[in-house]
Amino acid sequence: MTRGATKYLPLLPVYLIYLVLFLVAEGMPGMWQLMAMLVFYCAVGQAFNIFLGMTGYVNFGYVAFLALGTYGMALSIYHFHQLPLGVGIVLLGLLLAVVMAVLLALMVGAVALRLGGAYFAIATIGVNEGFRYLIEGTKIWGGSEGIIFSKQLLDTFGREVANKLSTFWADVSVLIIAALAALITLHFIRGKTGYALMALREDEEAAKVMGINVTKYKLIAFVTSAALAGLIGAMAWGLKLTYVFPPEAFDISYTVEGIIIVMLGGAGTLLGPVVGGLLYGLAKYWLTVILPGFQLLIFAPIIIVVVVAFPEGIVGMLRQRLKGTPFEPFVL
Amino acid sequence: MALLKLDRVTKRFGGLVAVNEVSLEIEQGELIGIVGPNGSGKTTLYNLISGIYHPDEGRVFFEGRDITDLPPYERAHLGIARTFQISRPFGSATVRENVAVGALFGTLHGQIGVEEAMEVADRYIELVGLTPERDKPAGALTPVEKKLMEIARALAMRPKLLLMDEAMAGMHPKDIDKLVAFLRKVRDEEGIAIVAMVEHIMRAVVGMAERVMVMHQGRKMVDAPTAEALGDQRVVDIYLGRPLEEV
Repeated sequence: MTRGATKYLPLLPVYLIYLVLFLVAEGMPGMWQLMAMLVFYCAVGQAFNIFLGMTGYVNFGYVAFLALGTYGMALSIYHFHQLPLGVGIVLLGLLLAVVMAVLLALMVGAVALRLGGAYFAIATIGVNEGFRYLIEGTKIWGGSEGIIFSKQLLDTFGREVANKLSTFWADVSVLIIAALAALITLHFIRGKTGYALMALREDEEAAKVMGINVTKYKLIAFVTSAALAGLIGAMAWGLKLTYVFPPEAFDISYTVEGIIIVMLGGAGTLLGPVVGGLLYGLAKYWLTVILPGFQLLIFAPIIIVVVVAFPEGIVGMLRQRLKGTPFEPFVL
Repeated sequence: MALLKLDRVTKRFGGLVAVNEVSLEIEQGELIGIVGPNGSGKTTLYNLISGIYHPDEGRVFFEGRDITDLPPYERAHLGIARTFQISRPFGSATVRENVAVGALFGTLHGQIGVEEAMEVADRYIELVGLTPERDKPAGALTPVEKKLMEIARALAMRPKLLLMDEAMAGMHPKDIDKLVAFLRKVRDEEGIAIVAMVEHIMRAVVGMAERVMVMHQGRKMVDAPTAEALGDQRVVDIYLGRPLEEV
């Protein structure tokens, strides 16, 4: 096999999992919402992993990028639905989502990424809450009442298409975004960027004297991660729910969930966030069913055990075990 | 034109003057030893050259260019490489990946891709004799192997100036002799100026350095050819304790 082809082998298990999720959703009645939730967590894990996993920096303001993506979609459909764009309005929403998430990432990153790990984490906590209060306080973008755009969606596309967009294409798009995130992650890990990020994650000062512009590479990871989050927010929250409501969109618990998924699966790995997203999603669903209200109480100790027992995450451990076996090239 | 020139460089930490008006010139391909007791300012001097610290006073020149305000990574691109007193491998990455980072981001940065960097890495790994360890995580190496890995990683940057911080501490005398011979060879073949900072191991200084700079309380006390510097009465009194022949 050529080197070029082997490079892409680690994508196989990731895409296989996504295919199975899609087939189950399509084929088994009543499974669509659960599968959509799993795909959402996988996608968030992958987007988050590109920054948290690959740089080792924790961004507590992560959900702000999802929220801005949601607003991007909401603003596009709410304000521009009369333009004769057709489905293009959704594409405009995606574009706006990415632009807004990237702009915020550039603003926050250019300042906060010059700080060391712990200071960065603290600085980012404020971003999330600050942005929410900015929207609520200045009453921009609907203020604390948010934006409901289901009517605009109906007016533009008619009941059938609007329904199809919200209940089918929104979820499928998240799957596509997740697949895209995996491709980007692989490209980063295997390329020069991956080496720079590995070095700065392990020892930032050593990385600097070895010629790595650490701020630049952190910013690359941060902006990429934010752009993907914006896309996910636009689809999984915006187009799917057809409303955006600040306390929900800026709910910090999604950031915490993202951290859990990445740590559980294996930070900085390709397959890790997918495995983490699946396990977290399933466990959350199951605990919600059997012990509603207690899911966090039960989940916290499980996470602690996993993080202590497998500090490199499930996939990190798996990679160690598979060294030298024929499966090695498939797990990254 | 000197390769590196320090012009009355001073660095203070609060009331402590760690490096006090030190001037120094290093020519291309020189082998220099910097000796001095703990706290004499050696590591601070390295940090000023590699750009971790900005001097409070004085300027730093590299190949005639004022690099005082350049960040560390740009100095690395120009050809300044260093190793650390306590080895700082990228522990979870393999030896090969560690050394490839040097090739990717050193003076060759932007000119070579990952695969070529791997080839450069393999060459330097072989030079320092770590080929059997190539695919191990760098964190799993012995302390001496880590030092060798760091040297390979720094050399893979294809630097013009290599600063080594206590590279030989904790090594067996035989290994020191081997490393000294290796460094002399590297200097002859690649024309790299090598500065080795040494606290205790005079064997390394005598074997390797052609010129020695002795630091004391942040100042440059002596800067002379090796035998002359280590024979200096002040150096004997303050640092060596007795003449070198007896050490």
